[in-house]
Amino acid sequence: MSEFILELQGITKIFPGVKALNQVHFQLKAGQIHALMGENGAGKSTFIKVITGVHQPEEGTMTLRGKQVEFKNPKEAIAHGIAAIYQHVTCFPDLSVSENIFAGHEAMRGRLPVIDWNTMHGKAEKLLHRLGSDLDPRQQMGALSVAQQQIVEIAKALSTDADIIIMDEPTAALTNRECEELYRITEQLRDEGKAIIFISHRFEDMYRLASQVTVFRDAQYIGTWPVDGITNSDLIRAMVGRSLTEMYPPPLSQPSDETVFAVEGLSRTGYFKDVSFDIKKGEIVALTGLVGAGRSEVCQAIFGIDRPDSGRVELLGQTVTIDSPLTAMKLGVGYLPEDRQKQGLVLSWSIEKNITLANLDRFAPGLLVEEAKEKETAERLSKLVSIKCQGVEDLASSLSGGNQQKIIVAKLLTADLKLIIMDEPTKGVDVGAKHQIYQIMRELARDGYAILMVSSEMPEVIGMSDRIVVMHEGRVTMIARTHDASTTQEKILEAAVTRVSHEEPALGGKS
Amino acid sequence: MKLTGIQKQKHGAIGAREIGMILFILLLSLLIQLRNSQYLTAENLNDLLVNAAIMGTLAVGMMMVIITGGIDLSIGATLALSGMSAALYVRGNETASPVLAVLIGIGIGLLAGLINGLLVGYGEVLPLIATLGMMNVYRGLTYIIANGAWVSAHQMNDGFKALAFNRFLGINSLVWVAILTFAIGAFFLGWTRIGRMIYAVGSNPEAARVTGVNVPAIRTLVYAIMGTITGLSGVLWVSKYASAQGDTAIGYEMNVIAACVLGGVSISGGSGKVFGVILGTVLLGILKNALPLLKISPFWQDALYGLIILFAILMNTIFKRMVDKNNLQRRHI
Amino acid sequence: MAALKKFLLRWEAVLVLVLLLVNVFNTMSSPYYLSVTGLLDATRDFMDKSFIVFPMAMIILMGEIDISVGAAIALSSVIMGVAYNAGNGIPMVAAILLALLVGTICGLINGLLLTRFKELSPMIVTLSTMTIYRGIAYIILKDQAAGKFPSWFQEFGWGTVGPVPYVLIVFAILAVIFTIVLNKTKLGRRIYAIGSNRTASIFSGIKVDQIRILAYTLAGFMSGLTAIFLTSRMSSTRPNIGYMYELDIISMVVLGGISTSGGKGRLAGALISIFVIGYLKYGLGLNNISSQILMIVIGLLLIISVLTPNLVARFKRWSTVRKSHRQSMRST
Repeated sequence: MSEFILELQGITKIFPGVKALNQVHFQLKAGQIHALMGENGAGKSTFIKVITGVHQPEEGTMTLRGKQVEFKNPKEAIAHGIAAIYQHVTCFPDLSVSENIFAGHEAMRGRLPVIDWNTMHGKAEKLLHRLGSDLDPRQQMGALSVAQQQIVEIAKALSTDADIIIMDEPTAALTNRECEELYRITEQLRDEGKAIIFISHRFEDMYRLASQVTVFRDAQYIGTWPVDGITNSDLIRAMVGRSLTEMYPPPLSQPSDETVFAVEGLSRTGYFKDVSFDIKKGEIVALTGLVGAGRSEVCQAIFGIDRPDSGRVELLGQTVTIDSPLTAMKLGVGYLPEDRQKQGLVLSWSIEKNITLANLDRFAPGLLVEEAKEKETAERLSKLVSIKCQGVEDLASSLSGGNQQKIIVAKLLTADLKLIIMDEPTKGVDVGAKHQIYQIMRELARDGYAILMVSSEMPEVIGMSDRIVVMHEGRVTMIARTHDASTTQEKILEAAVTRVSHEEPALGGKS
Repeated sequence: MKLTGIQKQKHGAIGAREIGMILFILLLSLLIQLRNSQYLTAENLNDLLVNAAIMGTLAVGMMMVIITGGIDLSIGATLALSGMSAALYVRGNETASPVLAVLIGIGIGLLAGLINGLLVGYGEVLPLIATLGMMNVYRGLTYIIANGAWVSAHQMNDGFKALAFNRFLGINSLVWVAILTFAIGAFFLGWTRIGRMIYAVGSNPEAARVTGVNVPAIRTLVYAIMGTITGLSGVLWVSKYASAQGDTAIGYEMNVIAACVLGGVSISGGSGKVFGVILGTVLLGILKNALPLLKISPFWQDALYGLIILFAILMNTIFKRMVDKNNLQRRHI
Repeated sequence: MAALKKFLLRWEAVLVLVLLLVNVFNTMSSPYYLSVTGLLDATRDFMDKSFIVFPMAMIILMGEIDISVGAAIALSSVIMGVAYNAGNGIPMVAAILLALLVGTICGLINGLLLTRFKELSPMIVTLSTMTIYRGIAYIILKDQAAGKFPSWFQEFGWGTVGPVPYVLIVFAILAVIFTIVLNKTKLGRRIYAIGSNRTASIFSGIKVDQIRILAYTLAGFMSGLTAIFLTSRMSSTRPNIGYMYELDIISMVVLGGISTSGGKGRLAGALISIFVIGYLKYGLGLNNISSQILMIVIGLLLIISVLTPNLVARFKRWSTVRKSHRQSMRST
């Protein structure tokens, strides 16, 4: 009998136009927490989807408890004792917690096709209790907080008697306290003999929980090491492919003293409060924190998608009211959205038409759109940001993540901007394109743009920014210059996961 | 952030909404009684219930359709088609069995519902368009099989006409049908796996698919159920009014939709309770009953139903916004 | 050769073929059909409702729908008729303008409701307003008719310039305008953007709400315009005028290749479909097909109009996935 409960060898997965996994390997033992690390776009999510039966690999074998298996759909994987907990919980918000836990295998009254609510609620309560939670399973799922929903997801995994549990970025949205809870639960599951694959960006998660770490990069398997047998910088090099200093191009200029943009006391009930910071000309300011800290919400308020309830926005010293994205752009604020496919691009359109979409007035001063001018501008900008394509008539959907991101950058450059907000600019982008985007950012800074970069990746924050603003649960907890000696990674992390004041957050009840 | 309007409410419990509706019903009844004392008489209330019974029966089926995120505009036409089919069977036939007539009606209804369901579930046609189109088909068929004429009381045998007037334990058969439908509906939706799948499909179709729910099949099923209920109701309708015409029940779907929306069934799908629909039916039944009592011409009915539906969905939306705002404020930031 | 093949495989080419078939069928049904005057006269039957196809195309391109247009026609027509025929009736010209106003208001209400209450779907809102508008028409006119218009009013529906009916001329003008707007202007580009990806459109600074209100208000205005020509042709009005017109209009748009999911399709297809469906119904009338069978045909047409592009699209998707899958395998 193999010592490994789960083994994958030579797994290759291909999607139209892109190889998401290239001959990757993985080995997992029972009673072990094995960390899987890698940058966005490295292939971790696809890999998990292969294990859970969402995707079928083109090549490679999967061996479960000594027998070769291939799962045609998620149900088969669940039946074999594999469960996954994702960062974005897909659930039925209108149904109760118990129903979400037992969806597909509800408790029945004997042989009759009648649901036994009492038994089901009782079982749900027991599972939640085992995880240290006193949630009422009769509640509607939609009323719970993200952290609570995650616990329900874990309960769901336990309800299927899974002994292989995969956790995909579970800590991304949790507070310190909630994180500790999750650590405790995960360790408890390990001690019960479960095998756990833990995916996280945070090195601290890995150090705390895992005994082994595997790194993927650019769809390839890089290596597996015992956690206490590899150094931080070696790990980063494995993940990134080059040393930190090679990855992030040095600044091409120094930020000026002139303040281009400032917010003061910006608040929106339920999302963020008293947010104040400023950005100078030619400066790159990183806005970091956990998922759910309110960073994108602040950006969208600045950009005019949502109205803040109070506070002031200043552009070049003048107080402005931004009530719509159109106003924002006219005033000189541009936004590279977090979800490029949903918010940034019309995938079924050509590169050219995407680039001109935000500024059609410029290309249609009269009644008709001047297509020649459109094409000329699109080609010029496309070359400027090095979009890899056959021509600007190519469809946006045919491009890789990095090139799609560049389309949006080009789109921003059709307007006269002073401030460019970039929300997770390298999320889901391969390493080569990442470097190019960083290069573009340096050039923009040199050309005098003020840049606000929202990022969750510590190396990127430290490598690219001049100053850092940290948010936690809707408030700014730290503002510091990146290259001051006192600005350490530990300090940044602490500001991201704890509230500096002594108020206890009352996030929707007990958990 | 998606508008959920979700309060910390226990699943299945009677909520603030239902209590509000009960109070409103009582208040409305009081006001009507003050205007016309004929309202709270045994005879009138019986009339009210019997008239509302068919609407209530249909509302259970419509509720299931709406919970999956769909809608069925064809039920008026299906009522006419199934009623006419049954009536044609009994026409001039003294020995015609009422039971067989009912079965014919149910069969026609089931077939019609099944076609609707297949179009929506497997053809991926928008429910609005599928049922709007089929509405015309079923209505046209009704006219064609009637051949321009209609079936009237003296052509129907007594057994058939009695269908809608039989009484068991002092309660009219139509009301019994409604009660049974409510009971079976509530049980089906609340206690069976398929019933919960119906909610799942409406709440999050993608998650339902991943959980292994056969989404197209469930969508087809709810329309088939609606059709079956409509088929039965069509026969009872024709028996009650002792007449089957080409234009029977034109526009009746708006009644039924109004009852559902008033009863708290969310048009975007995923939620709705049978008890709410019962209240919605009662409220609508009262309004219908009160119109002639308050000397309001029947020509006002259509506009009124439209306004009721619009008002109800606007109120629902405003209420959800308030709840969400409240939830946001409680997030102590 | 490849270019010709591509052209022929386009949906519009298929529609033209169907149009020819319909005309062949109609010619066999009546000896008077296949003449210039015959063909032009036949258009009177369906040209008035075709005005609404233009804003409906805009609405469906944005991924929405409006089923209240038939009711808006009725309300505009009824108010026009009653306003003119009432005791101290207003002059006919004012009544005509009133019809346009009423229609516009009907559309504006839809637009305002949908943009202020984004949680509501166009389906349920226009279903409600449809019921309300027609209901008001019934309240006003009950089951009566209103006619007795001045004889010059007939000119709208029956007048011609040479052999060409006025309705056709108006249609042609609108066709030119809307084709240019949808294919060549900023507004058209933005409408397609909204239908393809509403969120990205918002983030690109497009005033989505304004454009939506415009589309629905335009649909209302066109309903008023249709009401004028239709009432003129009928010489009278009843509350059930224009009943189920939305079916025909939506069929014409969808059969033309404009998908209900939004962002796809060309106006040209809808324009050809107007004639396909219009001549088809006319031809059935030539064959004395009863109005009941016609009802069934209208219903089936709508469903076939939606199903066919659906199935074709699914087939295309399936073959594209297979093709690129094979390509990717080759490139590794």
